[in-house]
Amino acid sequence: MTNEELFEKMYQAILKGEKEEAASLARISTEKNISPLEAIHRGFVRGMEEVGIRFESEEMYLPELVMAADAMISAMGVLEGEIKKGAERPKRIGRAIAGTVYGDIHDIGKNIVCTLFTVNGFEVIDLGTGVPTDLFVEKVSEEKPDLLLLSALLTTTMPGQREVIEALTRAGLRNSVKVLVGGAPVSQNWADEIGADGFGRNAVEGVSIAKELIG
Amino acid sequence: MRKMEDRVASIQPIKSKLRLKILDESDIRAIDETALKILGEIGVYMPLERALKTYAESGASVDFKSQRVRIPADLVKTSMGRAPKQYTLAARNRPDLDLKLGEQKATYFNNGGCASSTIDFVTHERRPSCKDDLAKMAKIVDYLPIFSFYWPIVSATEHLKSSTLHELDASFNHTEKHIQTETVQGEIQTRYAIEMASVIAGGRENLRKRPILSSLICGIAPLGHDKEALEAALGFAEAGIPVGFMSMPTMGATAPASQAGALAMGLAEVLSGLVLIQLVNPGCPVYMSIISAIVDPRSGEYRYSSSFAQVTNAASVQLAQYYGIPVYSGASFGGDAHELNTWQMGRENLYLPFMEVMVGADLCCSMGLIEAVNLFHPARVIFDREIFHAIQIISQGIEVNSQTLLFDTIRQVGPRGHFLGQRHTAEQLPKLSPSSILFQRSKTVGQRYEDPVKLAWEEIEWILQNHKFPELEPGVQRELKRIIKEAEWELGIS
Repeated sequence: MTNEELFEKMYQAILKGEKEEAASLARISTEKNISPLEAIHRGFVRGMEEVGIRFESEEMYLPELVMAADAMISAMGVLEGEIKKGAERPKRIGRAIAGTVYGDIHDIGKNIVCTLFTVNGFEVIDLGTGVPTDLFVEKVSEEKPDLLLLSALLTTTMPGQREVIEALTRAGLRNSVKVLVGGAPVSQNWADEIGADGFGRNAVEGVSIAKELIG
Repeated sequence: MRKMEDRVASIQPIKSKLRLKILDESDIRAIDETALKILGEIGVYMPLERALKTYAESGASVDFKSQRVRIPADLVKTSMGRAPKQYTLAARNRPDLDLKLGEQKATYFNNGGCASSTIDFVTHERRPSCKDDLAKMAKIVDYLPIFSFYWPIVSATEHLKSSTLHELDASFNHTEKHIQTETVQGEIQTRYAIEMASVIAGGRENLRKRPILSSLICGIAPLGHDKEALEAALGFAEAGIPVGFMSMPTMGATAPASQAGALAMGLAEVLSGLVLIQLVNPGCPVYMSIISAIVDPRSGEYRYSSSFAQVTNAASVQLAQYYGIPVYSGASFGGDAHELNTWQMGRENLYLPFMEVMVGADLCCSMGLIEAVNLFHPARVIFDREIFHAIQIISQGIEVNSQTLLFDTIRQVGPRGHFLGQRHTAEQLPKLSPSSILFQRSKTVGQRYEDPVKLAWEEIEWILQNHKFPELEPGVQRELKRIIKEAEWELGIS
């Protein structure tokens, strides 16, 4: 198989959301001593870009997007080890930390957001659900992300979003990161009230607002 | 302002004469078998030590590390056999406002909940909800017979951690009808909620005999529970307060993209909660609910009013009937529409309550919310009343007897006559044409079109200004405030 053929297969594996196939193609590329960055950009990322285009044009739906992202993550799992050995890092348009606030264990919405951000070229660090306020602050300090994505599904846990923003201010980190809030009870009014930088009614809107904010 | 009539609170459940079956017996058995297989082989996440221990002591297979319980089928069947088939949800003072569950003769309606935003009663602008909105809606619920019981409709968002207790305070203070909380969670809040209800009922024993409060606990699909929700369930069950478990499988996201699969998984989820209640307090009144939706395949948004979801929700009633326990089946839940008085709103909100009454649900919620549970629109209550009345008429079917066949009247009028001058017509015709704010009929000279939304607001305003209801004794009111203060102290709210 030529390198070109391999890249084409990588592209197809992402497009079809084939997780195992994507990982196995990633391994083949390392065996062939192809640079991980080349494999990512000429193979897998092209697939993700095509998925993004097809999603926009309504040829693909969310489940296919999630499957493509899973395939991408599985390929990256293989290639990341290789990347760390070298100095080069894949180009991403931004870094985001995501999590559901303390006291709230709902994660489906947050997971969809993480997937869509990943598909759209963001590096996403997912802290999971029920994330303590201090952990958000600590991770923002350590990882220096462009974006912090805070999810809450309950009216009783929504105030956790305000607490995180206040804690970031106290830690002197508020201006270092753009904060986006989301979740069923969350509104633009709420985002304004707590001093968030943005609010997405759904994951797709969240991505476009994020791009504007860091663009 | 539109004038309505003064009256004391009453309830008007729908007693449907039409019957509908969505699943046949073999469908029900297959769904139940799959649910039991899910419980036995896959298990349910139950993040509360006490719940895990209770299950372990009762013969279930419990992995304390992953907090997963696998429940054998015979334990499910034996435990569910202890649940009462019929019981009463009591009203505060008057037994004529009680709800008789499990008789499959009537469907009792309530309002939806619990939204976080309100359309303001005065400015008609959108804003975050507050305790006063709950009080106003409780008063509306007290007045309108279509409401048989009250869910705190919005969150008392200004009270944060103690919001659920303030929600109960506003509810108990403004309606005599039964209150069902779907928001009280956590050991502390539950303890104080029970204390509040006890004070009104005149003690724990009276509360147990006539539960003026019931609880609805929501699982977290797929196949999980919330720690604080389980604490509430156990607390209420020990006080003998009826407990319902609701599963909300969202097809494509938190459930398989299949109606049968969502029902089987939802049934497994609710059974895992209900069995726990029967293990802790055998014979405790329980009910179940499966409210499915689909995930929007593009935006990931929650789509409650999908027709696929609606027929699935109606089918869940038959699963509860199979287990012989009362069932709460959601109606529109506000649907997904973002505007009142639209084609979408009407379409979303008619089918499901109609199917629910025909399939025999005990409890059914719908009224007052839009935007998929997020926004309370007071005027919608009056729109919902129109739908309710339509369902009430249709579900009565057609009465056929000599008084309705009217052979003699037909003979009297004969060929080429008309029926307008008949006494029977004069008596009955107005009943066949109930007033409606929604229908635009042709107008006689001088009449003009009136916006239904405006008319609905006028009715709401009339109710708020004029409806009187028996208030709680001043001593009881003070006691409720004291209990909330004590709870806030324990919750660390100064």
